[in-house]
Amino acid sequence: MGLGLLALRASRTSLLGRSSSAISRPGFESGNPNFNLVRWIISTPELQKPEAATASEPAAPPPPPPRTPVGGARVHIEKPEDAIEVFVDGYPVKVPKGMTVLQACELAGVDIPRFCYHNRLSIAGNCRMCLVEVEKSPKPVASCAMPALPGMKIKTDTPIAKKAREGVMEFLLMNHPLDCPICDQGGECDLQDQSMAFGSDRGRFTEMKRSVVDKNLGPLVKTVMTRCIQCTRCVRFATEVAGVEDLGMLGRGSGEEIGTYVEKLMSSELSGNVIDICPVGALTSKPFAFKARNWELKGTESIDVTDAVGSNIRIDSRGPEVMRITPRLNEDINEEWISDKTRFCYDGLKRQRLNDPMIRGPDGRFKSVSWRDALAVVAEAAHQVTPEEIVGIAGKLSDAESMMVLKDLLNKMGSNNVWCEGNGMNPQADLRSGYLMNSSISGLEKADVFLLVGTQPRVEAPMVNARICKTIRATKAKVGYIGPPAEFNYDHQHLGSGPQTLQEIAEGRHPFCSALLSAKNPAIIVGAGLFERKDKDAIFSTIESIAKQAKAVRSDWNGLNVLLLNAAQAAALDLGLVPESENALETAKFVYLMGADDVDLEKLPSDAFVVYQGHHGDKGVYRSNVILPSSAFSEKEGTYENTEGCTQQTLPAVPTVGDARDDWKILRALSEVSGLRLNYTTLGGVRTRISTVAPNLVHMDEREPASFSATLAKPETQQKMSKEDFGVAVENFYMTDAITRASKIMAQCSASLLKK
Amino acid sequence: MASLLKSAFNAIKEKGIRNVAREIKEAGFLNCLPDGNLLQIKIHNIGATLVGVDKFGNKYYQNMDNQYGRHRWVEYGDKKRYNASQVPPEWHGWLHHITDHTGDELLMLKPQRYGIEHKQNYTGEGDEYIYHSKGHSLNPGQRNWTRYQPWEPTKTDG
Repeated sequence: MGLGLLALRASRTSLLGRSSSAISRPGFESGNPNFNLVRWIISTPELQKPEAATASEPAAPPPPPPRTPVGGARVHIEKPEDAIEVFVDGYPVKVPKGMTVLQACELAGVDIPRFCYHNRLSIAGNCRMCLVEVEKSPKPVASCAMPALPGMKIKTDTPIAKKAREGVMEFLLMNHPLDCPICDQGGECDLQDQSMAFGSDRGRFTEMKRSVVDKNLGPLVKTVMTRCIQCTRCVRFATEVAGVEDLGMLGRGSGEEIGTYVEKLMSSELSGNVIDICPVGALTSKPFAFKARNWELKGTESIDVTDAVGSNIRIDSRGPEVMRITPRLNEDINEEWISDKTRFCYDGLKRQRLNDPMIRGPDGRFKSVSWRDALAVVAEAAHQVTPEEIVGIAGKLSDAESMMVLKDLLNKMGSNNVWCEGNGMNPQADLRSGYLMNSSISGLEKADVFLLVGTQPRVEAPMVNARICKTIRATKAKVGYIGPPAEFNYDHQHLGSGPQTLQEIAEGRHPFCSALLSAKNPAIIVGAGLFERKDKDAIFSTIESIAKQAKAVRSDWNGLNVLLLNAAQAAALDLGLVPESENALETAKFVYLMGADDVDLEKLPSDAFVVYQGHHGDKGVYRSNVILPSSAFSEKEGTYENTEGCTQQTLPAVPTVGDARDDWKILRALSEVSGLRLNYTTLGGVRTRISTVAPNLVHMDEREPASFSATLAKPETQQKMSKEDFGVAVENFYMTDAITRASKIMAQCSASLLKK
Repeated sequence: MASLLKSAFNAIKEKGIRNVAREIKEAGFLNCLPDGNLLQIKIHNIGATLVGVDKFGNKYYQNMDNQYGRHRWVEYGDKKRYNASQVPPEWHGWLHHITDHTGDELLMLKPQRYGIEHKQNYTGEGDEYIYHSKGHSLNPGQRNWTRYQPWEPTKTDG
């Protein structure tokens, strides 16, 4: 951050210095007085007497050319009368009222060094690194905590500001260990960068450095608390974003330290984010410790598939290995956080991998074979059964392309029994509003009352939960929850645990009704765990009647939401992966499992031929007759639609393992071998085919809202709601799919963090 | 010359002609016939003092009557394929006039726990001595570059 700016300034000053002395162009000499001389990083004589230096400056310099805002920062001023004008280094910039000096400087293109300030957290103002000089102010001011006032003249580059930063840096480094060579943050450390840019070239500290006992925060976050500079970012993150008040500040003065007040682990599903926000190496990733340096890593911008949120991630890889996963900024989906499952599931990508096609021999043992043989066996088996006995099931992690090809292939074989696990046997795929989060994830911030039906967002979709938590912190929105007892990290009312409560609300007999009916933007969130219930249609029609009473579905607000569980669900329903008959599995003779591990294979007839195509040796392989290895999400280009209907794609970060191939390629090859040639051969061809079925799936990074609301023209259901309580959709947050079940880190997490 | 013959005669008388012949062979006198280098060293050795013998059988001679800088030399233990890398490090300093301490003295300084045995340079001595990198398939300790752990089909129930 600071380094780039420094380099820019250094090059600018040296250019100016040289040109004014050697070529002596008048245009350059009349520039900003701050750029006139070659400036040194260390203290210069003028620093000792700042008054004298200011006095010697030439009068009334013209403003320098405008600079571009830092990091593309831009601001939208709603009312022009709310705009105020401040001067940053002599350059006027318009900012809205209430912005801090630091934000104004960012808009003016000046990057202020900072440690404690984070634009998504509350302002602490305790690191003092962001000191700037303001005219008519007797002392340098902490720009992160000072609101910008009209006509303020901010100077970020004066000797006083520089001296202040240098002094702050010296105090920070006093008690900071000089262990950058063995520190995992080395290379991406704010303190390292800023001490290069703003620090002094020597220290005057000769006493002993203080040391702090390391804290045990669980299997994910490694602590080296001696490195901590007490910026309290982690404390504020835990309280404000993660919603757990686990971390805090103990002691005063040099005895000050961050810790959990009593010995305990950090019990948040977002705890990994403190690794990112820690500006020094005090909180680092435990699984990543001493594994790689950040400059060795290749970053690939991809998305997460472990839940239906589709968090934007960067997969950092070295050679054929995924080394770590870090979040990417997407204001609409995950802001800049990701859940622990997303961040630490990557070691599951290296374990239990299927790397060769295998056939189960007559002795019941698997034998590695060539692709040609494996596909021939599958094609022959498919030809020996009648089309009605063919069933295809897409798994939780399937991308849209492979599901399209699977459906096309099975349709060509004559079967229409294709579905995606988690969607239930009778999914409603006609209206997109019936399975999407209609108010969008960022739109949840507008809601003032939440009704959670059969969903525990904290384990099903932590990023959605973080959004709800943020809304509740900001607006004190009410939350009602219907379902089994569950843990929440915000205030909520547990209304009941089953459909009866739902019925009471629909009939207006429940005390929560008054809150729901008086709400301006009520948001009803229904868990996708209900898809598996037999009385699903009745439940949904009850929820729709509640939504109608609460006026949750209007032209300007659609508050009837479904929170999906898996990455593949939305795209599967968009592509029409709906089984033809409800008990297809009981009569199936040929089952094609495309990464489906959570299907109840007990129901299968014992003579059924099962093909498992997937990347992990998980539950599904043990029943299968043929194993076809495919690539995981980090190894392929695949389209995924998240729970709010936003289409995103993964990109290959690492090569596939062994002899594995992309899912859609395997199916395409199988179509060729079985003589049912599909008429596309490239990924582009598959996507063209997708665009004829679901055009929204080819518009990347765009959210396609449902065009019709769910309340429109739906047949009356004759079903009655059963008395059975809502179940828990996600038993173990850390282990939900093949990748996370193979992961050792996730196993450690579920052992230590889920202990009751 | 006469004393040389006399001592030779005495030796034959004491040890028998066979043993003397074997000693001559072991000392490498036969190799002197094709190898003039060795012959020259043998001639040099006459009148020189034997300073020490290392565990490889190399003999270190010194003759202070020689020109300075040419007064120390080695007669290699291996009479056939000898080269400079056969001199162990403790004798190297003495031989190259770096120090006046002989190898036997310097051997006392050798660390007991981690000092490894001297090995000559085997370049050109055969395939088994060729260096292969850690990823080379001819390296017996070839590293495993597989960065994933494959699934093992252990369960056999169907």
